[in-house]
Amino acid sequence: MALLEVEDLRVAFGASTAVDGVSFSVPEGKVVGLVGESGCGKSVTSLAIMGLLPKGRGRKARQPVLAAASEPVGSGLKATAAAPQSIAASGGRSRGGADVNGRAVFDGTDLLSLAPAAMRRRRGKDLAMVFQDPLSSLNPVVPIGRQITEVLERHRGLKGDKASKEAANLLDRVGIPDPTRRLKEYPHQLSGGMRQRVLIAIAVACAPRLLIADEPTTALDVTIQAQILELLKDLVETEGTALLMITHDLGVVAGICDEVNVLYSGRVVESAPVRELFARPTHPYTIGLLGSIPRLDLPIHEPLTPIRGSIADVIRWHDGCAFAPRCDRVAAPCVEGEPALVGAVHAHRCVMAEEVA
Amino acid sequence: MLRYTVKRLLQLSVALLGLSLLLFAWFKALPGGPENRLLPENATDRQREALRAALGLDEPVWTQYGEFLGRIVRLDFGSSLSSGRPIATELAERLPATVELSLAAMLIAVGLGIPLGYLAAKRRGTWIDFGTVSGSLLGTCIPIFFLAAMLKVVFAQELGWLPTTFRLTAGADFTEVTGLRVFDGIITGEFDIAWDAVKHLILPAIALSSIPLAVIVRITRASVLDVVGEDYVRTADAKGLKPSTVRGRHVMRNAMLPIATIIGLLLGSLFAGAVLTESVFAFGGIGSFVYQATTERDYPALMGFILVIAVFYVVINLLVDLSYGLLDPRVRVRK
Ligand SMILES: Nc1ncnc2c1ncn2[C@@H]1O[C@H](COP(=O)(O)OP(=O)(O)OP(=O)(O)O)[C@@H](O)[C@H]1O
Ligand code: SF4
Ligand SMILES: [Mg+2]
Repeated sequence: MALLEVEDLRVAFGASTAVDGVSFSVPEGKVVGLVGESGCGKSVTSLAIMGLLPKGRGRKARQPVLAAASEPVGSGLKATAAAPQSIAASGGRSRGGADVNGRAVFDGTDLLSLAPAAMRRRRGKDLAMVFQDPLSSLNPVVPIGRQITEVLERHRGLKGDKASKEAANLLDRVGIPDPTRRLKEYPHQLSGGMRQRVLIAIAVACAPRLLIADEPTTALDVTIQAQILELLKDLVETEGTALLMITHDLGVVAGICDEVNVLYSGRVVESAPVRELFARPTHPYTIGLLGSIPRLDLPIHEPLTPIRGSIADVIRWHDGCAFAPRCDRVAAPCVEGEPALVGAVHAHRCVMAEEVA
Repeated sequence: MLRYTVKRLLQLSVALLGLSLLLFAWFKALPGGPENRLLPENATDRQREALRAALGLDEPVWTQYGEFLGRIVRLDFGSSLSSGRPIATELAERLPATVELSLAAMLIAVGLGIPLGYLAAKRRGTWIDFGTVSGSLLGTCIPIFFLAAMLKVVFAQELGWLPTTFRLTAGADFTEVTGLRVFDGIITGEFDIAWDAVKHLILPAIALSSIPLAVIVRITRASVLDVVGEDYVRTADAKGLKPSTVRGRHVMRNAMLPIATIIGLLLGSLFAGAVLTESVFAFGGIGSFVYQATTERDYPALMGFILVIAVFYVVINLLVDLSYGLLDPRVRVRK
């Protein structure tokens, strides 16, 4: 059994579904990627695993079937394309919390059913997270040293000088020069790359077995991005930490991941070992993603082929493939019920895949 | 931090100088001028000239302003036109009462307002939130004078739980140190005096605290709601910290920035409320002094009062700015 098994994870904000039955696993010590375009549910998935979503009213995610049923019967395709209500329109970051369903089994325990206090004891210790925007993710009025020592104090019982010394060690390990002086500084006194290093130091402070990084390089300069990726790679290799790498950048996936899960509209549409995915992409969405990145091995005039349209606002997996409105290969079977995830090592969710391959 | 402090001090001196100019201009522009107040109705022009010369009113304007400034710096505000006593003495005698009352009111407002505001934010959308916000609206609506009178009638006159007037029970024998009775009672070991002073303070302080309390509740609520949505609070949660740590170190420390500013501003404005409250409870602070000065057109006394209030505002502002520097490291470094 893998270190983390996410099974049929569903997250809804009120009536809108953000994650619609995501399943994947992160084996001990491996780097697993979660890719997909903006809004497909990557961050919500990771926050759900960490137990960091605002609490909703009920445990049952409301099925989007209700919204579909009220629509005039017609071609499923049309209904999907003309989805009238969008998650964004229904309030974006709504005040109401998230209803989370499914399982996220970490080392034998389902994190989603843990009591808040029990989850707090594991968060930051057994599983930790690095966020996208390093400036806003650090407290502006607390010295960075304190922001590191507080997690050492909480989970490792280190106090005073011992904690400070360990914090300096950690800063040193993430490549921050003159760590003892830096401990007294505030986030605004550091550069973007350094801030992300501090966040990484905080995340690895208690030697977690799973590290979740949600687009850790998106807010940084290109040269810094490479350094941060290198650092993460180095840390997880030497410590044997498993890493769930969330990104929309296939370059990052190619550079660091062992396995990849491609997410589309709240579901995994393809998952495979990283070489396999790049060699034989099967799902039209994955093929589209690969076609829309510049490649060095193609003539420079070869046009990039972007995926047309944008992510469907309402998840409509139940009455057909949610990618159908944007898919070049769409055919009648695509909108006759939910496409299932088929395959084991290399799995995909496309009814036309046999023809595609 | 030192540069920051010096810069603030300079800014404040400029502000004070500007204020003195305004005051001087106001004084000059008064209808009739002060000499009318001192002369009998049927005074002759010669008498008038003589008095103007005696008061220095016939000198060039800039000389007058210079002298005016000089007197202010020496704390020589002249004598009250009604009592004839030096204004500085009158103010010095009455100021401690007002300061004590204002501080007590602020203590109530802060001590109650911040927790209530936090609770309302945490329970956003529940009846607790609704009740707190409505209550604070009510607090800003009730006129202080009315509230003070109601408190006095109910708790002092009808129920008899607390004294109706003055700062101490009549005939109490106390040692005066700073003039803040509670504080003096504690440092001199006269605890019965301190307690007596507290009992006399409660009702006026509650009346005076109503507006700052309401404001602090609402600012705290808004500020906390702002901060809990910040990424760094999510980071703190991701560390698995105890809720109390997240609340204290991560939410409140950031939420305090706007609250501190408001507290400073409110402290200055308490003096205005104190005039009314003091008159209801015969508290004997500068409130009654100002009341009298206004009704009797005692301009020198009013001027002294305004200057004292201005200095208070300025000092409080300085304290707020400095505390801001302490609370927010970003301010400290930005020159
Ligand atoms: N607090 C919330 N309330 C309501 N809807 C939300 C909330 N958080 C996220 N969503 C919605 O859930 C969907 C998935 O969002 P998510 O943040 O997981 O996307 P993402 O894949 O991380 O995208 P990005 O690459 O932009 O970070 C989006 O449509 C978003 O609008
Ligand atoms: S199921 Fe049909 S619409 Fe969906 S990706 Fe496959 S071919 Fe395209
Ligand atoms: Mg995201």
